[in-house]
Amino acid sequence: MTNGDTLPGGGATGLRTRFAGFVAPGLPPDRSDRLARALGLRPAEGPAEGPTGSGALALLVTDGSAAEKDSLWLPPIAAWVEPAAGDEDGGGVAALLAEASGTDLYVNLTTATAHDLQLGGRLLAAIGARHPLSGHRRDDIELALHEAVSNALVHGNLGVSGMKELSAQELERFSRDLGDGLADPVLAARRISIAVRIDPPQAVPAGPGPVGGLPKDASENGRALATVEITDQGAGFVPRRPERAGASGRGLDLIGSIADGLEIEDGGRRIRLRFRL
Amino acid sequence: MYSETLNLKDDPMDYGIEVRDQEAVVRLRGRLTFNDHAKLRALIGEMGQNKPRRQVLDLSSLEFVDSAGIGMLLIAREEMDRADKQFVLRAAAGQVKRVLTVAQIAKIVQIED
Repeated sequence: MTNGDTLPGGGATGLRTRFAGFVAPGLPPDRSDRLARALGLRPAEGPAEGPTGSGALALLVTDGSAAEKDSLWLPPIAAWVEPAAGDEDGGGVAALLAEASGTDLYVNLTTATAHDLQLGGRLLAAIGARHPLSGHRRDDIELALHEAVSNALVHGNLGVSGMKELSAQELERFSRDLGDGLADPVLAARRISIAVRIDPPQAVPAGPGPVGGLPKDASENGRALATVEITDQGAGFVPRRPERAGASGRGLDLIGSIADGLEIEDGGRRIRLRFRL
Repeated sequence: MYSETLNLKDDPMDYGIEVRDQEAVVRLRGRLTFNDHAKLRALIGEMGQNKPRRQVLDLSSLEFVDSAGIGMLLIAREEMDRADKQFVLRAAAGQVKRVLTVAQIAKIVQIED
């Protein structure tokens, strides 16, 4: 793993994003240089100084504050990846960027870092910069992304159960469990990964439609489609009907009412959402 | 309404309480999410302590609420019930109004425009 050959070369592997360089505001220069050699990529000073027009940049995130600036969630940055502690030779980052190259937007962060960022809103900004979103649809998609990310972090990686009975004691229990989870180095180091693909509208056949009427789903196919996969490293869960009386349990319902597709896989560790844009 | 200016900074919920003769008005600002558990605990404590029986949450300056935020509002309502106080949500707008509607909160909590 010493050069860019570790990144898939496109073609059959479905290359969607070719990285031209990376930005690593929080990394010391010597580590940044080592990573540059491992990735076969050039370090850029910042998004504005990346190679113009020639491709995407990856942001190497060292902690929440390294990814706080809003401009770091806009093009040309297309991946937000946190090097694992001890990944000195950059092999781990290279593997993550190889995965990122098969997506349009890719996030892979520790729970501790993701918790400090408003990841739902930031993802929305990154998607919105590629495909204009407006009004209610924008609010709704932000909520769905936020709920799915929160579920992955809180219930998945940190293993904190939702607030059940409606009482201040239960709120206190939730507070305490969340604090304990974030303070646990093993749980806080668990990963959340998010892969986004944005597909353009499918061409609607010109001229008269097929015999028997309008092309099926013509209006739906006329809109771009975002597919968002969010994966955590928690214990998973079995989806069931929420208990109406409780304080928790509305998140998945809200997601379901907003997304155009919702699949839960890997025993509840992965949720795949589709949004018509 | 969405503004073109990105505002994604850590923008936790904040609140101010105005105690009047007949009611206490709590104005929530910013984004109310699962992360605001400590603030909500403090707020519930304050609402339980102050004098007026009627506790109004003014949501007009609240920009965003998630499902856990809604859950915490329901906990506040329940605690006010226990303290024999009245709990009202007022003036929700934008995303907040939308989520309250979708989650059918009006069936459980008194909502005023």
